[in-house]
Amino acid sequence: MKKKIFILILFVGVIIGLIISYISYETITRTGTAKFCVICHEMAPMRASFDQDVHGGTGKTGIRANCVDCHLPHNNLMNYIFTKAKNGSIEVGAHFFGDVDTFDWQNHREGRAKFVFDDGCKKCHTNYTTNEKFSAKARQMHQHYNALIGTDKELGCASCHAEVGHHGLNNMLNIYKPEHPLYEKGSEKEKLKINEKLYGKGSIN
Amino acid sequence: MILFFYTLTMKLNYIFKKGGMKVRILFSLLGIFIFSLVSLGAANKISTALVNESTVVPITHELREKYPIKPHHAKLSLDCIHCHDGQGKDPEKFEAIGDEGCLACHGSKQKVALRTGFMDSFHTNPHNSFHDGLAYHCDDCHQVHQPSKNSCLECHEKELPNWMKKVTP
Repeated sequence: MKKKIFILILFVGVIIGLIISYISYETITRTGTAKFCVICHEMAPMRASFDQDVHGGTGKTGIRANCVDCHLPHNNLMNYIFTKAKNGSIEVGAHFFGDVDTFDWQNHREGRAKFVFDDGCKKCHTNYTTNEKFSAKARQMHQHYNALIGTDKELGCASCHAEVGHHGLNNMLNIYKPEHPLYEKGSEKEKLKINEKLYGKGSIN
Repeated sequence: MILFFYTLTMKLNYIFKKGGMKVRILFSLLGIFIFSLVSLGAANKISTALVNESTVVPITHELREKYPIKPHHAKLSLDCIHCHDGQGKDPEKFEAIGDEGCLACHGSKQKVALRTGFMDSFHTNPHNSFHDGLAYHCDDCHQVHQPSKNSCLECHEKELPNWMKKVTP
């Protein structure tokens, strides 16, 4: 009898465990697509430039990374979920109560090595130091990067690869928020055109 | 070796038979634990095995004062050798690396021009100049060990602040 109860508890436990795992998995993956992220995250120029990038699916094979593949830590699951929840709550706040026009995106890019997580890059780009298709300079610099891991001078992939994942980001940001007066001419029109492509016709976003 | 493993398994078998279920579960858990430890160690070893330090010209304080580098290069902790490789070990004898040297990291003139491509429609893109296209040399404006100069300013002093920053990185 005791054995039977034990097996029953074990069986029910496994089923409940599987259901919970499945729900968490679905929640995490479904809330990790670019389509979902831009609902709250104020980043039309980033999304538009992502669509132009090979990471955004413009490559021959059409492989497309998700925002979370680069912008969330992949060193351990708890850290991933925690950062996801933290970033999410901050952005929801910014979306409903913040003013998009006050965001200084260009200035924000200075900290890019902090919000692009190298373990995400290295998950796919595993042979970045040895790939012989890279130039000798690239391999030399990647060795330099490796040598600095764990020191106080540690670099991020994005320290050098400034527009990685967002092809033409500087241009896009200057359309959305021109840094100099000359480029304000026509930028509104251009912006509307890009937004239409991103969010559909008639969108005010 | 084989004999050792044979006696070990025999002994383990004996312990299992005597101890029953609990010992078996304990042992398998221990096995899984040891296996994960070993794999973790192996994984760490692989990632550190890639580290390989290149030869570096020692940079003294005087050298840094004499040949300061731009903040965006300094942030990357670049050493002399990263630009001046193959030029010996005496910094005094290093030579300018020219466009080709800069572009070894910065890609190509087309790529650099694309970075500031939003200026194209107003013909103000310094990397794809209205006057000379891609023909300018990097060091016509950008200097690495001394202040850069904005060459556009030579003629367009008045209107330039509308186009770009006066100070060239």
